[in-house]
Amino acid sequence: MAGGNYKKIFKDGIWNENPIFRQVIGICSTLAVTNLMLNSLIMGLAVIFTIAFSELTVSIIRKFTPRHVRMIIQVLIISVYVIIVDIFLKAYYPEMSKALGPYVGLIITNCILMGRCEGFAQNNPPVKSFLDGIASGLGYTFILLSVSFVRELFGFGTIFGFKVLGDWWTNWTIMVMPPSAFFILGVIVWWARSKTEKEEKEKEGGTALS
Amino acid sequence: MNKDKFYYPVLVMIIITAVFTFLLAWLNNVTEEVIALNEETELRRKILYVFNIDVPSNEPEEIERVFNEHVKSEEIGDETVYYIEEDGEIVGYAFPVDGIALWGSLSAYIGISADYSELLGIEFIHHSETPGLGGRIDEEWFKEQFRGLDLTEGEQGEYIIYKPAIGGNVDAIAGATQTSRAVRDIINKGIYDFITQGRSDT
Repeated sequence: MAGGNYKKIFKDGIWNENPIFRQVIGICSTLAVTNLMLNSLIMGLAVIFTIAFSELTVSIIRKFTPRHVRMIIQVLIISVYVIIVDIFLKAYYPEMSKALGPYVGLIITNCILMGRCEGFAQNNPPVKSFLDGIASGLGYTFILLSVSFVRELFGFGTIFGFKVLGDWWTNWTIMVMPPSAFFILGVIVWWARSKTEKEEKEKEGGTALS
Repeated sequence: MNKDKFYYPVLVMIIITAVFTFLLAWLNNVTEEVIALNEETELRRKILYVFNIDVPSNEPEEIERVFNEHVKSEEIGDETVYYIEEDGEIVGYAFPVDGIALWGSLSAYIGISADYSELLGIEFIHHSETPGLGGRIDEEWFKEQFRGLDLTEGEQGEYIIYKPAIGGNVDAIAGATQTSRAVRDIINKGIYDFITQGRSDT
């Protein structure tokens, strides 16, 4: 396996096949936990952990897994790691566990995880799958942080809890509410799509259509 | 082993499920005490806050020491009522209340003096209000307003009245009218029930 291969995995996960703005999956949690950057960061780390280890495990046992029960096994593996995260947060980071509420448990139903386990880990060796999980998780975290950056800045006047805008700033109530994430996410998808569309057109112009 | 045999998937499922379940059971077992301690510490800290007793540090042991020194508890029906004593006489109670707020159930502890004349303090245990709006009921300035309110004037259980209404004693939260109302109603009803029940008991 060449080094370029790993580079491609990360490029795909973060940009080319970014789960959120390219595949538009897993957006429920994007809307729910992005009102503060710290919440988004912890959520992102939780997803990176779950997705990477789920893919690793699925990949390790993929040769023994009978085809027609593979989905059940994937869900089982994902749930195990999500419960581990949940227990860990409850035990060592109770405030964050309270802030994220039910959304940690809901990682189980996040389409990104099922999608990567089924689409990638099922057909690739463990190390590659593990890295793919990290890449996809990073892509997810990156969008979460971008959305929450805007929401926290305008909604609270803070970044990671530090005050950056002075007292003259009037907080935008809409930014604190979930609907604002719709607008911001829409703008991000728009920006990303228009950028990639340009790249695709340039490619088409340069090489003959196959 | 033959992969084509009908029992193969069943066997794989059983093994995998067993392995992961044991893993989780073990993890749960290891962290059970820590989680229980966290929850207990959290509740103790909140009860102490209701009684306005300062805790010198955030260490669980320290909170437990201060709590055991000042606060006693008694089971009444299926709820736990906490009380503090001074010179062997009860001077204040803290009792749980719950109700429906804007987005979900809300539970809190209310502290009142033993002669039912003064509101000592309130603290929210659980709620699911919007962060930054209704969620601001957790902020210090909001909860502090309830300290020392006179309960002898409350007619018909109207102990808390938001300003600028006549007789208003507490500021509501701007942008969170529904949550503020729910909190007011839950507290008013809680105090009224506690006082009337308490009187009929004694």
